[in-house]
Amino acid sequence: MADNSCVTENANADWLNARWTISDQAIANSVGDEMVVLHLANGTYFGLDPIGALLWEGLQASQVPAQVCDTILDRFAIDRATAELDLCEFLGELATRDLIVRA
Amino acid sequence: MIRASGYEVTSYGEMIDCEPRMGVYVEALRRAITPGCTVIDLGAGFGVFAILACKFGAGSVIAIEPDPSIELLMQLAHDNGCADRITVVRDMSTRYTPDQKADVIVSDCRGTVCLFEHHIATIADARERLLAPGGTLLPMRDTLRAALVHSPETYRLRHYPWRSNKYDLDLSAAHSFAANAEAKAYLKPDALVSEPRDLAVIDYRTVTDPNLDASIELVATKDSIAHGLLVWFDAEIAEGLGYSNAPGQPELVYGQMFLPLADPPQLITGDRVTARIRGNLIDGHYIWSWDGTVIDGTTGVARNPFRQSTFLSRVIAKGIANAGSSLTVPQHSIQLQIDADCLAMAGSGLDYDGIAKALLAQYPDALPNYRYALDRVASLFGRYTAQ
Repeated sequence: MADNSCVTENANADWLNARWTISDQAIANSVGDEMVVLHLANGTYFGLDPIGALLWEGLQASQVPAQVCDTILDRFAIDRATAELDLCEFLGELATRDLIVRA
Repeated sequence: MIRASGYEVTSYGEMIDCEPRMGVYVEALRRAITPGCTVIDLGAGFGVFAILACKFGAGSVIAIEPDPSIELLMQLAHDNGCADRITVVRDMSTRYTPDQKADVIVSDCRGTVCLFEHHIATIADARERLLAPGGTLLPMRDTLRAALVHSPETYRLRHYPWRSNKYDLDLSAAHSFAANAEAKAYLKPDALVSEPRDLAVIDYRTVTDPNLDASIELVATKDSIAHGLLVWFDAEIAEGLGYSNAPGQPELVYGQMFLPLADPPQLITGDRVTARIRGNLIDGHYIWSWDGTVIDGTTGVARNPFRQSTFLSRVIAKGIANAGSSLTVPQHSIQLQIDADCLAMAGSGLDYDGIAKALLAQYPDALPNYRYALDRVASLFGRYTAQ
């Protein structure tokens, strides 16, 4: 089973600079600045807030999470360390749910 | 509140009037029924198959249908002299356990295609629990087929008024929703721009998985814009007895399923379109997804990729993005409490009127008037009545 935890600084950097692709089972429907992602095979829905939606759009555009992090820092009042940690945890969540896979 | 049938009487009339569908089912029933046998009519509607089964000599028929339409069956059975042989079960067949298994199970729970709501699960459950060993399932098998089609008329509302309109409005934000919406179609052979290909065989004698995941390659047979994919089925009700809703066949009640392409590609004869078509049963309804690309017939270069889904045709209210998530933690609210209190009054001896008045007295600020309260009570309890 893949290790989807991201707890150390090194692991953070690794995950944030990795290429991720959207699972072929995942379909995202935009709702304003939010998103709902449906996993076709297991029928579960996953809601993304505006920051999560930005990450998703970035991954769809073949950006690495670190690039998305810069966009987030531009748009939201959040410090880099917190944003990176949040993104990393979120990547883990998406990967655990088979919504993204590491390229 | 009056719970009416989900179908109009005229809808059942259309089904009976639908040829060759009806004639094929009648002949299949005639062949399958032996004197005195037991028949189950699954999703019986008004029970026309049940009555026919009696006429062909069935000893007993169980007609199962959750819809109120089945309430008319006994009158029809009486009028046809077979009321003493028919048992009505107004419920889901998955909740029914028979005293005796059936020799024949007849059904037509399809929609536009055979993957429709709980059709597959219903058949699979009936086959395992309700059918006697060696018994007959009608229908026996459906083959889903697909082809590329050119049909400006069918495609029109995927394009207009979203990308252009005579009122000079910018409605382009809605285009992607319209372009992912399936449609029922009745297309003719001249709409086809590729040869059809088999997508899947649904053999009701063995099927268990309600989902479809199939890949096909369609080769353009003419220079044309492809507006979408057309999906239909060839039905085999019994060995040698079938019909089809393919283009060129007599129009049937089912129609065909049109899956539009958001950016219809111009195809040249020999171009290939690879397509993965998926149907996933989610929350009781199918989400259809179609992904693929055009491959130039001369150069082999891929172009016009598409990744579409009926899930993308739904406009979801902002703020409830998480409502469907399994991570959602439901929050308490006054509206939730009203419903909880309402349901708690079941069995108290109060009728709808009394419950509505009690709720109105308890929640005068949340319920605008008695009529509203009464409708709410009837609607809420209606969800649990006769199911």
